[in-house]
Amino acid sequence: MTSPLTTPVPAPEVGRPAGKRDAPRPRIAEPWTPRRLAAGLGTTVLCLGTVLFVLPFVFTIVTSLRTAADVARSPLGIPHSFTLKNFTQAFSQIHYGTSTLNTLLITGLSCALITVLGALAGYPLARITAGWSTAVYRLFILGTSIPVFVVVAPLYLLMRDLNLLDTYAGVVFIYTALNLPLAVFFYTSFIRQIPTDLEEAAALDGCGALRTFFVIILPLLRPVTSTLLTFISLQIWNDLLVPLVFLQDPGKRTVMVNAYSFIDPHTVQPTTLFPAALLGVLPLFVIFIFFQRQMVAGMSAGAVK
Amino acid sequence: MFHRRRATMAAFLLPAIAVYALFILYPLFQGVYLSFTDSVGGPISHFVGTDEYKAMADDPAVSAALWHTVLYAVVVVVVQNGLGLLFASLLFRRPRVRKALNVVLLTPTLISPLMAAFIWSYLFAPNGGLNALLDGVGLGALKHVWLGDPSTALYSVATVNIWMFTGYSCAIFLASYLSMPTELLEAAALDGASGWRRFRSIEWPLLAPALTVNVTLSLIGSLKVFEFPLVLTNGGPAGATDTLTLLVYRNIFGGGKFAYGVAIAVLLLVTVVVLSSATNSLLRLRERRV
Repeated sequence: MTSPLTTPVPAPEVGRPAGKRDAPRPRIAEPWTPRRLAAGLGTTVLCLGTVLFVLPFVFTIVTSLRTAADVARSPLGIPHSFTLKNFTQAFSQIHYGTSTLNTLLITGLSCALITVLGALAGYPLARITAGWSTAVYRLFILGTSIPVFVVVAPLYLLMRDLNLLDTYAGVVFIYTALNLPLAVFFYTSFIRQIPTDLEEAAALDGCGALRTFFVIILPLLRPVTSTLLTFISLQIWNDLLVPLVFLQDPGKRTVMVNAYSFIDPHTVQPTTLFPAALLGVLPLFVIFIFFQRQMVAGMSAGAVK
Repeated sequence: MFHRRRATMAAFLLPAIAVYALFILYPLFQGVYLSFTDSVGGPISHFVGTDEYKAMADDPAVSAALWHTVLYAVVVVVVQNGLGLLFASLLFRRPRVRKALNVVLLTPTLISPLMAAFIWSYLFAPNGGLNALLDGVGLGALKHVWLGDPSTALYSVATVNIWMFTGYSCAIFLASYLSMPTELLEAAALDGASGWRRFRSIEWPLLAPALTVNVTLSLIGSLKVFEFPLVLTNGGPAGATDTLTLLVYRNIFGGGKFAYGVAIAVLLLVTVVVLSSATNSLLRLRERRV
């Protein structure tokens, strides 16, 4: 935009990234101007807001490490005891080992299937410009606004007729179908931005469509795939309705279903409730710590596109 | 050669179409059909025309649930995006803490709605965390049976929703803030425009696409809310937090009124499609104007 010909002396501000300027630094001796007052007020609101958002978490963690008697004496008091017994109890109450493995299996298989089918479908939808291809694309996009509640009853009958009730395969198929619209949207819009030169060269060299896809397109899809995966793995891991309806076999239940069926929040102590809640989100937090950068970028970028 | 290539490429679509058609499109049409029958989930059902819909129109529980669902969505959309925008604009002006606080605000988004409901069901309990906190800071007069009072129950449930997803709204607004042209913002600052003036005439118009995304996402999300009212109140007290999703679930899997539940699900679909497409086109129109 600013060519060196028109600006003989490049201004240092122009080249700086967007984040490096912003609010003027408050000077010490200056009197209280309305602007400084507003900035001070803003900082106060920000601090207070953040504390309010974090407080439930801190409270949850602290309470889950106290004994029930200690909490009952003063819910907000300074802890007098420290115990891990709450966690071991919750662990066995929601059959944490088995149910975590079940959830991992379902989430992993669904994510793999969604990625493969979504990327395969996104390639022709991005490259073929015929009318039918636009129609198919629109049909997929339609799916992003269909609530699962609308299809849950007929889906139940279908699963019963296909003998897929109480099977991992049935739940994986449902998650795949529910999340395909988003995956198709992500992959199609991403592949449209990839220049076609490489593919044309490959085609002239006699490289078939299948090989072109696996050798040229697939390796380029890594960034969009990681964005998509962070998003859908969260959805699937945290979902309650689908496994609650379609997976009632006690040995196949997920963490969320077990937590929902074995723990009644209205009769149960916080020292049972909170460890269960923490165990339920623990695997995702571990993943979040490792992929923090991609997740924050992905969650905001994916929505803005 | 290119012709065969295109045919192969088109074949890539088949697995995705097959899964999507069998498990989403077919049940969608089947659901609309079932809502015109007296099906109880078994193999035998009769076509009864619009009987279920007529029953729905006369059912005060359905109209109440529809009202709760829409009210809940409006409260969540307005408060969640208002707070998200406030945090984003404050964070944008404080680059040193921006990234860390954005991550902190996003943490509630990661936990499942069920787990959030577990945590808040204790915080909202009569002897729970919130009332104890009010006592502790000397505001004991504000203590309340948050989930047990029909006049506060729906707003309390909405609070949990807002707590979970404000960080998400904030992240989307912040991404939009960070993509604003630096020259424009600097020119305004040099001209001595006040903070509010800069926000109103430069930042707000530039945030229009982010607002569209945020409003659409939070609207669709809150219209199909399920876990929060299910766990926190199960529709109570006295149906004050009954949403369309709870009625669908209860009728289909609990009450034996299968076709009725399916008809309410169709009402939910119509509500989501009408409200989200209306807001979306309004906001897109606005984007072009500003």
